[in-house]
Amino acid sequence: MTALLEVHDLHKHFGGVQAVTACSFTAAEGQITGLIGPNGAGKSTAIDLISGFKLPDSGTVVFEGDQVQGKAPHRISRMGLIRTFQTPREWPSLTVLENLILACFNARREGFWRSLRGPTRAEKKRAQEELNRARAVLEEFGLLELRNERAGNLSGGQKRLLEFARIRMAEPRLVILDEPMGGVNPVLGERMATAVLAFITAGTSVIIVEHNLPFIERVTDQVVVMAEGTVIAEGPFDQLRNNQAVVDAYLGEMPSYDDADA
Amino acid sequence: MIDYLVSILTEGAIFAILALGLNIVWGWSGDFDLAYYGYVALGAYMTMVLTIGKATAPTEYILGLTLPFPVAVILATISAMLLALIVGAIALRHLRGIYFSIVTLGAVYVLYIFASQFVPLFNGYNGLSGLFDPMGDFFGLDFTTYPYFYLGVCVLVLVIVVVGVTRLNGSRFGLALRSLREDERAAAVFGRDIYLMKLKAYVLGAGIGGLGGGLFAGYLSAFNPSAWSPVETIILYAAILVGGRGSTRGVVLGVAVMVLGLQEATRYLPEFAGHPTFAPALRLILTGIVLVLFIRFRPQGLLPERRMRDKDPTGKGGVAVAVEQPIVGPALDTGVA
Repeated sequence: MTALLEVHDLHKHFGGVQAVTACSFTAAEGQITGLIGPNGAGKSTAIDLISGFKLPDSGTVVFEGDQVQGKAPHRISRMGLIRTFQTPREWPSLTVLENLILACFNARREGFWRSLRGPTRAEKKRAQEELNRARAVLEEFGLLELRNERAGNLSGGQKRLLEFARIRMAEPRLVILDEPMGGVNPVLGERMATAVLAFITAGTSVIIVEHNLPFIERVTDQVVVMAEGTVIAEGPFDQLRNNQAVVDAYLGEMPSYDDADA
Repeated sequence: MIDYLVSILTEGAIFAILALGLNIVWGWSGDFDLAYYGYVALGAYMTMVLTIGKATAPTEYILGLTLPFPVAVILATISAMLLALIVGAIALRHLRGIYFSIVTLGAVYVLYIFASQFVPLFNGYNGLSGLFDPMGDFFGLDFTTYPYFYLGVCVLVLVIVVVGVTRLNGSRFGLALRSLREDERAAAVFGRDIYLMKLKAYVLGAGIGGLGGGLFAGYLSAFNPSAWSPVETIILYAAILVGGRGSTRGVVLGVAVMVLGLQEATRYLPEFAGHPTFAPALRLILTGIVLVLFIRFRPQGLLPERRMRDKDPTGKGGVAVAVEQPIVGPALDTGVA
């Protein structure tokens, strides 16, 4: 297993708050890596630093051998690293189908002169292929019936599925999912677990931030535990259960998680 | 009567061009730009100084060339775009929503004060005049036939703008700009360079504004600070809102209703002795009432923005079936957060 993403010694502070301190971990290609930790552990800040939405004070982020820290979000995205946010960020007044089509980025095709001139035959063919693929992806996620609906009219759960569908369209090398199970019912959760596993089949590695531990246990190959801005443990979930530092910082703190979801 | 009709149609065509430019900035990429009328004014001023020849004392202005009218309008368009590039490069960098609007309002007032107080630029408050019937001599037109010709010119330019804007609207360029309007962070996550794309839309909109301004100068034959003010942008916003933000057909209709309809409806009201400002004041009040009613009862406008719709009933067909269809929109997002 080669490391797809290597985070090394990241630091970030906001005023007097040290949000991320000496954070280092790796995510392997073809694997699902969980990122867990109590609230305020610095997970979201770490994701923001990796995806370019915040600038690290120091440290490096290496994605597929290239340093990406300090790069703009769109550049990192074009290299094949896509992330989601804690709340679904659909484009509300565009249709579900348009949301999917926009997930495929092509700088040349979106250029001003090219657009003014109108599509060539090859581009039309490609647009048609994209449309067909969008339909197939929507079918897979059970959203096909809603394809002409404005994305803003979807329910919370459907919006989560729409985000997954967009990522399937974009086919990134790595996706970082920020709490995808927030506000999701168990049945839909099952569907999303399947979808996360399907990302791997489609060639997209996954980092997943989540508080739902049964879900983490089920889908992840490797888990990174953060607390107080730094990584306190790394390894398969089963091993971490017996790690006293992890239990003290996180697992022991909220035993209700296991009970609630059993 | 016919002269009057020709005159208001010319004005309508020019305002439709102006509103279509602003619609790219606000309707497509979602930026509530208050500097817009500054680009219109710069287009008008530049067209004047490029065509009316050397300044004679006591008037003062820059350049004073005698270029052919179409060349002058093109150069005026370019200068409006250059100014927009500077203002946009600063204002779009980090600011969004109301903060962006405030900076653009500041920019347009700087331009307004400069144009009206700094005499060597565009002759200060007295402004510029002398652009009579551009291209009229070239085509051998007299003052009776000329208005028809100029109406034709303005309508032709409007048609070209509508065709261009419609193409862009249906293209990936137009669709990608909508993603910035809807959710910028999501657009960045899917590869869009927000700053560059917003700047492109801003400069393009300002260019169309400058073009319309050039035509406006030819229509008015004179241009000075009492002929424009930064507040005029609001009238264009009213037209876009009533017609349908983001919708090309809607914006043209909105101009017909708000600029021509309201203005002409109040023109023949009886004048009250001693109250010469009655009709203009009533017009503004009516504009306000219509705006409030639309925001409350039909925020998507008369002809809402159309979105792509897959008409294949099964959604599995192989034929290209993505066509535009009207869908009633969600509640209004003014872009001013």
